[in-house]
Amino acid sequence: MLGYFARRLGQAAVIVAIVAAIAFLLIHLAPGDPFTGILDNPNVAEKVRTTLRAQYGLDRPLPEQFVRYVNALAHGELGWSLSHDQPVSEVLASALPNTLLLMSVALVGSFVLGILVALIQVARRGTFTDHALSGITLFFFSMPDFWLGILALLAFTYWLPIFPVGGAVDPVMHEFLGLGGRIMDRLRHLALPTITLILLASASVARFQRAALLDVLPADYIRTARLKGLTERQVLARHALRNALLPIITLVGLSFPALLTGAFFIEKIFAWPGMGYAVVNAIGSRDYPLVVGGVIIGSIMVTVGSLLADLLYAWADPRLRGH
Amino acid sequence: MPGQTPDSAVTDPARPRHSPLALGVRAILRKRSSRIALAVLGVIVVIAVLAPLLAPYDPSAQPDIVSGKDLAPSLAHPFGTDPYSRDVLSRVIYGARLSLTIGILATLVSLTFGVAYGAVSGYLGGFTDAIMMRFLDALLSIPRLLLLLGVLVAWPHLSIGALIVFLGLTGWFGLSRIVRGQVLALKHAEFVTAAEALGASRRRILVRHLLPNLVSPIAVAATLGIAHVIVLEAGLSFLGIGVPQPIASWGNIIYDGADQIARLWWMSLFPGLFMVITVMTLNVLGESLRDVYQRR
Repeated sequence: MLGYFARRLGQAAVIVAIVAAIAFLLIHLAPGDPFTGILDNPNVAEKVRTTLRAQYGLDRPLPEQFVRYVNALAHGELGWSLSHDQPVSEVLASALPNTLLLMSVALVGSFVLGILVALIQVARRGTFTDHALSGITLFFFSMPDFWLGILALLAFTYWLPIFPVGGAVDPVMHEFLGLGGRIMDRLRHLALPTITLILLASASVARFQRAALLDVLPADYIRTARLKGLTERQVLARHALRNALLPIITLVGLSFPALLTGAFFIEKIFAWPGMGYAVVNAIGSRDYPLVVGGVIIGSIMVTVGSLLADLLYAWADPRLRGH
Repeated sequence: MPGQTPDSAVTDPARPRHSPLALGVRAILRKRSSRIALAVLGVIVVIAVLAPLLAPYDPSAQPDIVSGKDLAPSLAHPFGTDPYSRDVLSRVIYGARLSLTIGILATLVSLTFGVAYGAVSGYLGGFTDAIMMRFLDALLSIPRLLLLLGVLVAWPHLSIGALIVFLGLTGWFGLSRIVRGQVLALKHAEFVTAAEALGASRRRILVRHLLPNLVSPIAVAATLGIAHVIVLEAGLSFLGIGVPQPIASWGNIIYDGADQIARLWWMSLFPGLFMVITVMTLNVLGESLRDVYQRR
């Protein structure tokens, strides 16, 4: 078991190292450098250009730059954000909690909703309910994240103004609210982005879990449970679901890329001050270091997520515990 | 399921009478949901092909930038007009053309890379395989959208052709892992040993003996891959770094109305609906294919 943990941890470290190398390659294969847009015009003196580039080490040979880059990365430095005039690590660190909040609420919510839908479908397999729910999950599964975000914004902030238009808190009133009021204000702002993300993410959970449950149903222990007189509900909830939950752990690990991508679009549309919002806005201002920093942190999040899921799986499956 | 007859090719692998292709077509035609999906997709393809005949207006014409802009849907403009007074219906029709073309071409790029990488890795095996797979693990842990953001911000103002190449180059990781698994499993099959004994070169074994066995996963990956690229392209265009303006793509139309979502709702609703329907049909078809191939 410990050996497996160590091996899996080593694998994750190798993956992060390769991701960093790919990010470096991305930066240096691209035409120009982060200053091309600002400095390369006739109004900037040659001396200013060379000085600034020398300050940022852009005049050194590539291998040396790579060593410096890896060294900086190992110290948690991701470069300088040109649009925030702040280290990239600080910009992302202040935005990360909001993204993690959005993603974790959506993760839990989507798995609860998805498993529930799958259970209903399997309990009524072959009926109209099952087919209708299949159609609905397919619809949400096929929906581009940003489009559902736009529709939700349109429907529930403009047509039916139930929720605030965007942001994490009310920009004017939040400061003046009491503790209860502040919590309510945060929840009201959190609601629509998370509901949207939950709807998007739960579709694939439901589809996956329905198939997993149907896979389990022909098993001998299910027949035994039925034969000893348990109701269909008991069979499903106690015997089928528990055994179909193991693949769910794998699915949690696999769902991080989609969840992160979804969060990027949802943050952009609801002006949610998270990592995605910062990175997407950095595109407009050509703040390349911030975008690449976001790519690296996002990939690390995905790697860590799938690492945790694998470890959880090894711990949860009694068949693997001995190894 | 009612009316389902046992299929000899499905139940009896010893006598494969049908090619994977014929099997796939029959799988699609057998299920009602995938028949509907095929028909709907057919309509969208026809719309895309006949765009110049079907579109009521020139998709890039700006006839009246003062009083013809931001018009709500009406008989003259069923999908309304945009802030430049362009007809949204015509743009959505031309957008179908572009989105499908990008989806198909980018997926071709992905298939080429995915099959080549996976087949080589699986066939060579050993140390090379281990290195190639670790590299693939790293690529798989970068979310595709983020990878594309990095690339597209580094190379601003890309042409559509370059965008297609990049969309394709970021879409082969999953397929190559499946292909590698299949090749690894088939590498020591008797028909491969027989070919080796007859003196066939590695290249010939890969291309003539192993590739034909990969048709099924490739067909599934292609169908689902096109759907994925369509959504990605729209997302990138929505962020302003996809298809260059003012070309009409579904994502670009939504982007044009995005800063006035509440007022210009028709600009995000209609192109989005077309996109969801297209992606849904592709997902249904891809799944029908996967079901029949997996059962075999």
